[in-house]
Amino acid sequence: MSNNWEMVIGLEVHAQLNTSSKLFSSSPNQFGSEPNENVNFIDSGMPGMLPVINFACIEMAIKTGIALNFNINKYSVFERKNYFYPDLPQGYQISQFEFPILTEGFINIDNEGNQKKIRIERAHLEQDAGKSIHDIDPKFSFIDLNRVGTPLLEIVSYPDLSSAEEVVSYMSSLRQVLMYIDVCDGNMQEGSLRADVNLSVRKKGGELGTRCEIKNLNSFKFIRQAIEYEFKRQIDVIESGGKIEQNTMLFDTSTGETRAMRSKEFSHDYRYFPDPDLLPVNLTQDQIDKVKTSVGELPQAKLDKFIKDYNVDKDIAKIITTEKQNAILFEKMISETDVKPKFIAAWLVGDIFAFIKENNLELSSLNEKTKDITDLLKLVSEDVISNKAGKEILPKVLNGQGKPSDIVKELGLEQVSDSSELEKIIDETLIGEEENILKFQGGSDRVLGYFVGKCLKATKGKGNPKLINKILLERLKK
Amino acid sequence: MSEIDIKRISYLAKLKLPHEKEEFYSNSLKDIIKWVDNLKKIDTSETEPLHNVTEKTASIRNDEINKSNSVDDVLNNAPDRAQNFFKVPKVVE
Repeated sequence: MSNNWEMVIGLEVHAQLNTSSKLFSSSPNQFGSEPNENVNFIDSGMPGMLPVINFACIEMAIKTGIALNFNINKYSVFERKNYFYPDLPQGYQISQFEFPILTEGFINIDNEGNQKKIRIERAHLEQDAGKSIHDIDPKFSFIDLNRVGTPLLEIVSYPDLSSAEEVVSYMSSLRQVLMYIDVCDGNMQEGSLRADVNLSVRKKGGELGTRCEIKNLNSFKFIRQAIEYEFKRQIDVIESGGKIEQNTMLFDTSTGETRAMRSKEFSHDYRYFPDPDLLPVNLTQDQIDKVKTSVGELPQAKLDKFIKDYNVDKDIAKIITTEKQNAILFEKMISETDVKPKFIAAWLVGDIFAFIKENNLELSSLNEKTKDITDLLKLVSEDVISNKAGKEILPKVLNGQGKPSDIVKELGLEQVSDSSELEKIIDETLIGEEENILKFQGGSDRVLGYFVGKCLKATKGKGNPKLINKILLERLKK
Repeated sequence: MSEIDIKRISYLAKLKLPHEKEEFYSNSLKDIIKWVDNLKKIDTSETEPLHNVTEKTASIRNDEINKSNSVDDVLNNAPDRAQNFFKVPKVVE
């Protein structure tokens, strides 16, 4: 395979909006319920039932529009897209086509330090379909309509992406923003966020090729695998003299391969037309402005703030801002103490995250314990206890086993930072060490480590190492 | 006027059309379209498209859950069921 090929990729991302009820009905919008538990007569497509728009969905679309730099269209229209499968009994999907609520947005992605602007063509509201289960019975499909009518925001990018890494970076940036503005829970495993990948290949800088669409990818790993496989497949077809047919592909997660969906007798013909059951949406500037105040701080702004105002290292700041709840917890801790944010940040992404992971907890479970944590960090930063002792006590504090100062006392972990006391111990330690003292004065630095160790041992590990070092140097240089 | 692909139209409409009736329905549809094409005589170049005759704005509701029926109410209308699933002839893509 020659390496002068490049891929051109556009993404259609479906984000389930985390409303309480569905887009056009009052049924619960909830994952994991018993089959058909969340289905009413609108969802099941009974004749004569009328859909009514859930305004929270419109507000979430506006919020997304603001966060992703879209034009927010005051006028938008719901249309019927013909779709004849049992997982959507009404026979059509209600979607937006000619007049979507959002047009012409963009997001900046960071790909290994390089910034790139990815343009987004449009985003529109539509209903999700139900679920078909094919593997219980050889002759029948079983249908669960719980997901019917779940509000989706479909976000369609321009073909501005040119590698699997960029796609993953774009998708995770989108996910991050949608979670920050609280319109989508971002749970890809449960299908709250999934992507269709449109991919074509061309010789570098050449004309666009024919694209194939890989449907319904719901993990970063699968997105990456599917892109890499499809890229190679298309090149192989062309290089062996074939032509790419515009096809809809499925990604087989067990083999890591893409394959064309069983071709239908005729191609799809959606025959969109305005849904006569739903009047056009006319938004007022007032309605849009009201949403603006609820957008909050976006991930990029938080990242910049942590780096510039709080002096946190970029890599650590990135980890903290990945998820909104991390950032919120961090800011709460900063507001409760005068310990340096940089110091807190290091502990947060280090021992605190490790504790959360080991114990399979949610970070939010620490919301009530931030004061105890910062009290502990204060003891460490002021050398009342050693770093090592801090790490030892942390799990007890996180488990709610007491106030840090009490635990320190109970375990006798306070460092000896009293200079006169340390001086006494050091002087005793240096007795009979004349030979080594001469070695040090002769230029052997290694002897210093030996002395520090010996002094620490004499304090039973409780001596403040910094102070011991300082006093030792003064003594030895005499 | 474009030709009518009666096979495709019957497929899209999910209607089974006997072969000997194809020409009859094809011609009927042509007549209908010819009649509707009368609308093209009107000059609409200055007219905004109308998406709904009422010219009102969509009614909206608040994001509240209201469960007004049981699972059985919905499944009672199913042609067939298996536990709490709808049971339908196999559809696989």
